[in-house]
Formats: sequence, C-alpha cells, structure tokens
Amino acid sequence: MQVLPAGPIETARGTVTVSGEVTATAGAKDDTAFFNYTDYEHNALRMFRLSLSAMWRPSPRFAALTEIRSEDLQRVIPYALYVRVRPWANRPFDIQAGRIPPVFGTFARRSYGADNPLIGFPLAYQYLTSMRPDAVPANADDLLLMRGRGWRASYPVGTPEPAPGVPVVSAYRWDTGVEARYAAERFEAAVSVTSGTLSNPRLDDDNDGRQIAGRVAWHPAVGLTLGASGARGAFVTRAIVNAYEEALGPHSYDQEAIGIDGEYSRGYWIVRGEAIVSRWTVPKINMPFIDRPLGARTGYVEGRYRFGPRVFAAARIDALSFTRLSGQRLFGGQPTEWDAPVSRIELGGGINIQRNLTARTVVQHNWRDGGRVQQRTYVSAQLSYWF
Amino acid sequence: MRAQIAATVASLAVSAALSAGGFRLPASSVRLAAPGVRLPASGVRLPASDPRAAGAIRGRVDVRVGPSADLRPDPASLGMGNPRDAQDRRRSVVYLETAPRGAFEAPSDRHARMDQRNERFIPHVLAITAGTWVDFPNGDRTYHNVFSLSKTKEFNLGRYAAGHSESVKFDQAGIVRVFCEIHSHMNAYILVFAHRFFAMTDDDGRYRIDGLPPGTYTLLVWNEAIHGDPPRRTVTMGEAGDVDADFTIR
Repeated sequence: MQVLPAGPIETARGTVTVSGEVTATAGAKDDTAFFNYTDYEHNALRMFRLSLSAMWRPSPRFAALTEIRSEDLQRVIPYALYVRVRPWANRPFDIQAGRIPPVFGTFARRSYGADNPLIGFPLAYQYLTSMRPDAVPANADDLLLMRGRGWRASYPVGTPEPAPGVPVVSAYRWDTGVEARYAAERFEAAVSVTSGTLSNPRLDDDNDGRQIAGRVAWHPAVGLTLGASGARGAFVTRAIVNAYEEALGPHSYDQEAIGIDGEYSRGYWIVRGEAIVSRWTVPKINMPFIDRPLGARTGYVEGRYRFGPRVFAAARIDALSFTRLSGQRLFGGQPTEWDAPVSRIELGGGINIQRNLTARTVVQHNWRDGGRVQQRTYVSAQLSYWF
Repeated sequence: MRAQIAATVASLAVSAALSAGGFRLPASSVRLAAPGVRLPASGVRLPASDPRAAGAIRGRVDVRVGPSADLRPDPASLGMGNPRDAQDRRRSVVYLETAPRGAFEAPSDRHARMDQRNERFIPHVLAITAGTWVDFPNGDRTYHNVFSLSKTKEFNLGRYAAGHSESVKFDQAGIVRVFCEIHSHMNAYILVFAHRFFAMTDDDGRYRIDGLPPGTYTLLVWNEAIHGDPPRRTVTMGEAGDVDADFTIR
C-alpha cells in the first residue's frame, strides 16, 4: 500500500496523467523590507504552495495541458492552460496555444521536483521594481520618489491606488498567446506572440499590443547549453496611452529585453547563469522629463554540488541595477538610478529524504541602495514533495 | 561457515519497501531470502557443475497490467518530448522464499548491465545475486544521472555522457529502485538476491528455475504492479521431473 503517490497518476488508458507538488516554506515575516515579495504579494521565503498539473494526450501529436497553483491557500490560479500540437510527425516542430510557458530565459520554466536548488528566486524573476503598467510617473521626480518601494508603488498618472510594481521577468505568471518551437539535437529555437509582456504576463489584453519573444539555444557539447533571448511588447495600459495620445502623439510604450543564459553540468556539479537587460518606455508627460527608456540590468550565477545520493549544497549570487536619470527636487538633481539597485547572495543546502521529498534551508542576504530597509538577512527552510 | 552464511543471509532478508521512491512498506514485507533459512536436514549439496542434473520449477506468470508511460505532465516545456515507447510492466521475477544449501556459494565479481537508451533503463527489471557489479553505460546523446536512495543500496553516479559507463556493486539483498535525476520518467528495478534460485520471465511470461534438489519450496512472484503481499505457491519436487507453477497478476 502506498501512502502518497511516487509518480504521476495515469487514467483513461494512460492518456491522462496528473502530477502535483506541495511546497511548504517557513521563514520570518517581512513587512518592512519586502526583498522577496512576488507580484502576487507573497513572500517567496515564507509560502505554502500547491500545484497540480495534468496532461491529456490522446495521440502522440496532440496534448492539452494545465497547471493550477495556489499560494498560501488564497486563490487558485490557472498558471498554464494550453494545447500542444506537433503538425508533422517526423519533424521536431511544435506549436502551443493558450496560457503558455515563457520562451524568454530559463528560470521561469524550471520544473521536475522543485528544480530550484535554493529557495529564493533570482532577482530578475521575482524582485518587484517600481515600474507599473497601469500607473506611470508624470516626471522624473515621481519615479525617483518610489526608489526601493516596488512592493507598493504609486504614481499620479493612471490607477491611483498603490500597488506592487513588476519584476523584470515574472516567474509567477505566464502569458497568453501562441508559441512555436523547433528543437534539433544541438539547436533549438522558439518564438511566441503573447498578449502581455515579460514583466506583466496577462490572461487578457490591456493595451491591444502584442509581445514578440524568442529564444535560441545551442548545445555545443553534452551538458553545456548556451542561449539567447529577446522580447518586445506593449507594456503601458491602453487607458494611459489613450489619455496622452492627443498630447504626445501616437506612441508605443514598450518593454524590450534581451538576455543570455548558460548551463554547464558534469559529475556532481551544475552551474547556471543568466544576464538580462530590459528597458521600459513610459510617456514623457511633465518636466523634468523621463526622456529616455528606463533600463534595468540583472544577472545571476548559481551552482549546486551533490555530496552524495542525498545531500547537496547550493549558492547564488545575484544583482539588479538600473539606469540613471535626473530629477529636480530629489537627489539634488544629480543623475540617480531610477530604482534602488539590489544585490543578493543566497547559500543553502538540502537533503533528499526520498527521491521526491526534499528538505532544504538557506541563508539569504540582501543589499539595497535605497528604501526604508537597506540590508536584511533571512533564514528560510522548505519541505517540498512532488509526484 | 555455512551457519555463518545462513545467518548472514537471514540478516540480509529485506523488505520490498521502495522507500526511495516514496513507497510505503507493504503490509507484510516481501522477503528475498527468509530469515531463519531452513537448510535440509540431510544437507543435500547442489551439483556445482551441472545444475540441470537436479529438477526445475517452471511455469508462466500472466501479468494483466497495461504498459505505463511514466511521463509527468510537462506544462513548462516548450514542446513535445522525444517519442518513447510505454514501459512494459509485464516482466516478473519468480524466486524461492527459502533456498537450499549451497545456494549462497556463488562466485563474486560477476557483472550485469543496465543501459540508458532513449531515456529508458534497459532492462527495466534486472535480477542479480548479491555481490554482482552492475554497469550503467549511457547510450544516449544527453546526460543522465543514475541514482538510488533505496535502503538496500544508496548511490549517485553523477552526470556522465554517451559512451561512458559507471558501475555499482550490489552486495546486499533487496530491491533497489533506480532513477535518473534529470529525467523523471526514467526508472528501473534491480532485485538483488542472496541466492541464485530466481528467474526473470521472458516475453511470454515464462520462467524456469533450474538446479533444485528434491524438496518442498515456496515460490514468490515480484512484479512492479503488485502493491500488496506477493503471490506465493508451495510446490513439492520429487526425485524426477520438473514441477509447473503458474501465476496470474491483475
């Protein structure tokens, strides 16, 4: 007799498979620094997450997939819901349509039993900048005033209520659209057209704009993957665009991003890294103007080493910085990064109690050049089970 | 010496709990060699040179269980995975609960092989005697990372590429679940016996255990689809002829 399933549950003659993951993460409360808050306003180092995935694959060339999640038992989110088609049986070319996984970068697609070697997420995929799609600063001072307040940013233009800003790339939501991928032995390429952007994936469209994103990956040797990604899509909501179209002329306020990634593994080592440069264009409304796109540069390197069948250690070094602009009232009018740069180091280790039951703990230290709290260390522990 | 071997075998009798795979212990343990191994009073020795000089137990295990894809839903993937055949779960292992004297005097340094091909372990079920080395050659063009967290044998071979092979010696009787850390659908079973009186079923489910002296034996069947007590059957072997014993697993 089994208490819990150890593998996927199959029904309907194997055409339907169901798997799941339960992750309980314990850590101290953080209602002042918000280094690890996600765009759903949960703390990544203190979260209970349930995930259920299902696939219906009636034929080798067609599948329907879904993944639903609940974080802190608050609401159930259809993280993924799409169909997958392979038009030609002998060609490794696939099309996916619906709420699909992002083609940009690598971290947001990690799966298979909490593939994250640590507990925290990379800054690029989690840290909330002060950028918002539904509210924008009228001038540079409005923006600088929100430095280090991405967890609760507010601006005079657009939605007046304070709300969380967006990460550079959201790993907690997936976008809606169509994606195509060709995957050969040493090379693969994917392109997608979706309704949201990297930082603001959407189920519905809020600006009549589309994002085009793509990624190419090369596998020059076994264990080595090198990738490059790019994306461009309309970011600011239609309500704001319409409000300033007459005064500023027709304009597209986009998020653009490029990224590179790499992974190398051998023996008991695995090392990964990503670097992303993103920029957002916002309306140039009042003096002092935000007359250039607002850029962000971020990257991380992480590694994991297995000491034996059960025990592993991992570490990640992470940084996020921003381009400079000058206000009038703030910072003496001197060029200042429009959001507070953040650095993070996370060290941890874990033990595989069973193949699909892992306990891990981490220590994470954050530095931020701005905001109410500029340094903070967190300790967190996690138990994750998957089938 | 024999008493020592018997005691060792008794201590090696292990449950079929697949603890590494998240399985709970079955209601009663499956023993590959029962504790308190009963040796024939007459101390019948097995003919070392020609095991067929003695009798055989043969039969068929009819497994009425469909194949399994063992594939987790992969909503994070950007496309279909490589096509793979479903895992055939019909292979069973028939073994004696209590082995006759001499069964444990097997030579050491034997080698068996479990390939990694097309993201499958081949064979999916491997039965060996304790003390056997199993080679795990990687025949794919991607990395694999073979590991097991089974109580019988914990190991992690790390990531190695095509053309390379690593080996593990299995010196304790029991069941070892084998996995790949990279590909969650890859899994296999290695059944390690303290004696040599076991047989894998063939494509038709047929098996044959040779070299048995006259006596009464309890046969058990292992199959991955069995989650409770294993089917068992007691047979008596006379001086002449073979004995038939069939099983059905639903």
